[in-house]
Amino acid sequence: MRIKARTLEALYALLLLLPFLFTLTVFFLYAFVRALYFSFTDYDLFNPPRFVGLGNYLTLFRDPLFLTALSHTLAYSFVVTALQTALALLVAMALNRPLKGITFFRTLYYLPSVVSTAAASLLLLWLFQRTGLVNQALSLLLGHLPHLGAFALLFLAFQTAQVLWERRRGLTVPFFDPALALFSVPLALLAAWGLGAAGILEPWEVRVEIPWLPTTARFLGIPYPLWAIILMNTYTTIPTLMVLFLAGLKGIPRTLYEAAALDGATPWVMFTRITLPLLRPVLFLVITLGLIGTLQLFDQVLFVGGSGGAPLEATITLAYYVYGNVFPSGATPRVGLASAAALFLAGLTLLIVLLQRRFGVSERGWSA
Amino acid sequence: MKKAFLALLVLLGLASAQTQVRISGWGGTDIAIVSGLLKEVVQPKLDKEGIRVVYEPIEGDYTQWLFNALSAGTAPDLFYVDVFWSESLFATGRVAPLDPYFSKGEIAEFLPNLIQAFTYKGKLYGIPKDFNTLALQYNTDLFDEAKVAYPNQQDTWETFEAKLRQIQAKLKDVAGLCVVPDFARFGAFAFATGWKPFDEKGRTVLDQNFRRAFEWYTGLVKRGAARVAQDLGEGWTGGCLGSEKAATALEGAWIAGFLRDKAPNLPYRTTFLPLDPVTKKRGNFIFTVSWSLNAASKNKEAAVKVLKALTSPEAQQWVLERGLAIPSRKALANNPYFQRPGKEPELNRVVFQGSLGQGGYVYPFKFLSYGGDWMRPINEALQAVMTGQKGVDQALKEAQAALDRLMRK
Repeated sequence: MRIKARTLEALYALLLLLPFLFTLTVFFLYAFVRALYFSFTDYDLFNPPRFVGLGNYLTLFRDPLFLTALSHTLAYSFVVTALQTALALLVAMALNRPLKGITFFRTLYYLPSVVSTAAASLLLLWLFQRTGLVNQALSLLLGHLPHLGAFALLFLAFQTAQVLWERRRGLTVPFFDPALALFSVPLALLAAWGLGAAGILEPWEVRVEIPWLPTTARFLGIPYPLWAIILMNTYTTIPTLMVLFLAGLKGIPRTLYEAAALDGATPWVMFTRITLPLLRPVLFLVITLGLIGTLQLFDQVLFVGGSGGAPLEATITLAYYVYGNVFPSGATPRVGLASAAALFLAGLTLLIVLLQRRFGVSERGWSA
Repeated sequence: MKKAFLALLVLLGLASAQTQVRISGWGGTDIAIVSGLLKEVVQPKLDKEGIRVVYEPIEGDYTQWLFNALSAGTAPDLFYVDVFWSESLFATGRVAPLDPYFSKGEIAEFLPNLIQAFTYKGKLYGIPKDFNTLALQYNTDLFDEAKVAYPNQQDTWETFEAKLRQIQAKLKDVAGLCVVPDFARFGAFAFATGWKPFDEKGRTVLDQNFRRAFEWYTGLVKRGAARVAQDLGEGWTGGCLGSEKAATALEGAWIAGFLRDKAPNLPYRTTFLPLDPVTKKRGNFIFTVSWSLNAASKNKEAAVKVLKALTSPEAQQWVLERGLAIPSRKALANNPYFQRPGKEPELNRVVFQGSLGQGGYVYPFKFLSYGGDWMRPINEALQAVMTGQKGVDQALKEAQAALDRLMRK
C-alpha cells in the first residue's frame, strides 16, 4: 500500500506537533475540563466533590469582594490598555525618526521592560511610601510654588520684551518663538534663583503625607493603590509594545509619506490617513495582547497588598480572587468557587477580545 | 574494586532492611536546625531500631505544598503544622490523631497550653515542637540617652506609654514604638482587657473592651508615643528596633536571629508586655508549630518513633542550648540556659514565661477555620484609623459588619 504524498505530509506535521499537542492536552485541555467540572461542585481538595449545580456562580455574584474584583479588573484593563497603546505609539513614532544616536535612545527606552515585576513592585512600594519619593517630590514642588510662579512671570516678561524688540525691528515672530525662548528661559531661571538666594522668595513649609498605598480612597472611581499599579504597569509594558509598533512603522513604505508631502498633507493628516490604517494589524495585536495581559493582573496585587499594606478591597482583581480562594490563608481551600471565578475570568477575557475585534480595531487594515 | 562492590552491596542490603520515614517542614533557617538535630540527636537513636529519617524541607509556600501533597497522596509521614491553619487541616481527616500512640503521662510532659492548641474536637493532632509568644524588647542605649526608666513588668499601658512619649520628645528622630496595623500584635492588648475572639456561640463581638484596647493602640501615634512602621520604611516592629528607628519592639524570640545579623552590638533587654490598667492583666498569643502524622502513612509505628525522638527531652535540650527555639516541654522551664547572662537567654525566658501564668489571657494564634479572612476586617480597621482615614466608630462598625458577613457564610 502506498501512502499519498499529502497524507504523508500531514502525518509528518502531526508528528512534529505531537510534543506541543501533548502539553496542550495535559496542561490546558485536561486542566480546563477539570476546572469546568469543579466549578459545579463544592470541593476542598480533600473530601470528594459534591455537585451543587450553578451554586458557585450564584455565590460569586453575591460576594461583594468578587464584585469589587470584577470592577477593578475591568477598570484596570481599560485604563492600562488605552494608556499603554497610546503612549507606546507616541514613543515609537518619536524613535522612528532618523536622528543621530537614535539606537542609544531605543535601548534606553526599552530598559524598563527588562525589570522583573517583583523588582518593579518593590520600587513602586518605595516610591509611594508615606515618606517616599512621590510625596517628597510633591512637597518640594508645592513648597517652591513661589519660585515657580516667579519663574513663569519672569519668563513672560523677558519673552514679551524680546518679541516687542524684534517686532520693532520689523520682524514678525510668533510669541513663543523657540530661538527667543532660548534666551528667556535661562534668564528667568537665573533671576528666579537669584530672588530665592537673596531671600526675597521663601519656600513654603509644605509636607505632603498622603498614604498612597494603605488606603481605600478613590480617584475617578479607582482606588489609589490600583492607580499606583496602573502607573507602574503602563511604564513597564510600554517598551515591549513600542518595539512592536517600531517594527510596524518600519514596514510602511516611505514613498507614501513622500507622495503625501508633495500633495501638501499636514503631519496630522499623514498620521491619521497613512500611519494608523497601515498599522492596524499591529494595533490589533497590541490592543489584544494588552487586554488579555491586563485582565490577568495578579503579581503586583500580591506585592502591593502584602508588603505595601494596601487593603485587599482596594487592590483585589479577578485573578487574585481565584488564587485567594484556592489557597485562603489559614482556611480550607474553596476550589469549587475558585474554579467558577477562573472560568468566569476566561469567558470575560474571550468576550472582551471578541467585542474589541468586532467594534474596535480589527486585524484587517486598509478598509477604513 | 571488588571490595568497593561488596561494600556497596552491604550498604544496599542495610538500606533495604531499614524503614524509611519521610519528614518535611518549611525551609529557611529551619533546615540547619532540623539537619543538625537529626544528625546529632535523632538519627543515632533510631539507627538501633532500623529507622532511617529522610528530611525533605520545602522552600516556597509550605501551606500550599502540604495541602496539595495531602490531597494528592504524596505527603510525607511527618510534617509541620502551624497552629494558624491547623483547624482547617485537621478538619479534613488527613491528619492522624495521636492519642493511641501517646500515654496521658507522655502528653502531660508538654505545656498544657500548647497541647490544647493542637487539640481539635477532643483529639490531639500534633505534638508541639516549639513555640513563641510576644514580649517587649527595648534598646537600653536609647533609654539611657533619653534618661527614661526602662520598661518593666509592672508597667501598665499608661505608664508604658508615658515612657514612650518621653523617648519621642527627647530623642526627636527616634519613635517610642513603631506600630503595625496587625492583629498579630494588637490582639495581645485586646486579650488583656478580657475580650475573647469568639464567644460561646462561636461569634466575634467587638465589644467595649475591644474598643478600649483599639482606641489605646491606634491612638499611640497621635499622642506622640509611636509611629507607624510603614512610615519609617519598615514592615515590622523588629525592623524598627534593629535600625534604631524605634526604642522598643513587640516581637517573639524570632527577633534574636534578626538582631544577631543586623545589629550584633545593639544592647537590648526584654520584659513582659504592659498590663491593662483596668483589669491589671496582660494578654498574649501563642505561636506554635507541631509535628503531625499523616493519616495515610504506611509506617505509622516507625513515624511515631521518629516523632517522639524529634520532641524528646534530649532533642529539645539540644535546640534550647543553641538558642534556636523555645522548647515545648514543662521540665525545661527551669533549665539553667534561661538563667545565663546575656540578652538572648533573657529574651527566651520572657517569651517562654509569656505562655504561663505571667502571660495573663493567652490564646493560640488561630481563628477557628476562618484563618486570615477573620483578621482582615480588624487589620483594615486598625490601618484606617491609624492613617486617619476613618474614625474609631465607623471603622469598628464596618469591621463588625464584615465579620458578621464572614460568619454567616
